Amino acid sequence: MIQPEELVGDEWAAWYQLSPSERWTESERLWQIYFLLGGSLEPEPDTQSPFFDPLEPSARIADGRPGMRVLRRSRV
Amino acid sequence: MGGQACVFYGAAEFSRDTDLAILASSENLARLKKALEDLQAEVIAVPPFEASYLRKGHAIHFRCRHPEAIGMRVDVMTKMRGVDSFAKLWTRRTTIVVDGDSINLMSLPDLVQAKKTQRDKDWPMLRRLLEVNYFENRKDPTREQIRFWFLELRTPDLLIELAKQQGRIPDPLRRKRPLLELVVKSSKSSLVDALLSEEQKEREADREYWAPLKKELETLRHSRVSPVKR
Repeated sequence: MIQPEELVGDEWAAWYQLSPSERWTESERLWQIYFLLGGSLEPEPDTQSPFFDPLEPSARIADGRPGMRVLRRSRV
Repeated sequence: MGGQACVFYGAAEFSRDTDLAILASSENLARLKKALEDLQAEVIAVPPFEASYLRKGHAIHFRCRHPEAIGMRVDVMTKMRGVDSFAKLWTRRTTIVVDGDSINLMSLPDLVQAKKTQRDKDWPMLRRLLEVNYFENRKDPTREQIRFWFLELRTPDLLIELAKQQGRIPDPLRRKRPLLELVVKSSKSSLVDALLSEEQKEREADREYWAPLKKELETLRHSRVSPVKR
């Protein structure tokens, strides 16, 4: 029998092996971290969605930090 | 029925909106309206919140203003391509209790149908949803699960494993999903191509389904009385 690790690697296999309620709880925990880091509920634009409207008003920017700027990046 | 259901069933979706599939009866819409008022939800974009748009297959998009849900997006729909009527979805739903509240999720087979869209991101998710269900249940599967996996699994190795374990693939399933012939032959590379082709067909069907609805949305956008200020 094929093992999940062989197919999807250790990280995904660990997620697969959680029970549905454990996944739900873990997801809630990640949400709390996301909010603590300043994340917002504003969805990222989904240009492939049939609902995508380029003129749709946005409540705030997706990363929740209006003053964000790039400090460092590669030349590529 | 969206990201939260995917997390429950095994994918890892980071969805920042809440998708609700509802019955578009006048009584139910009145209840929904009241709940949305409690959340101080406002319709964003088009179409407007009217039963006629829901019944045609449109989604209505809301953003909440209540302090405890500020910015939360809620998308409401009542009809999805390739998915059964709400009445059938309701009989097959999964009910979970979170902090004392009951939450009804679309069943996994229905969620799988709903996720066969034109979007790139839905296809890896579909594969994961099916893999998790297969790994969780393969030791002692029901007939319904075996049928579901033969018709829906998107992982060549698991399809081949399933066929070997079952010994044979029932003819009605082969007729329904022609690529199962390649599973019998354990032809993995051909199976990869066939799965991709199957995906492309579904994505094209989804684009065709949405074409007239998108046209209607465009018309509604252009007929807005006041242009949106950015």
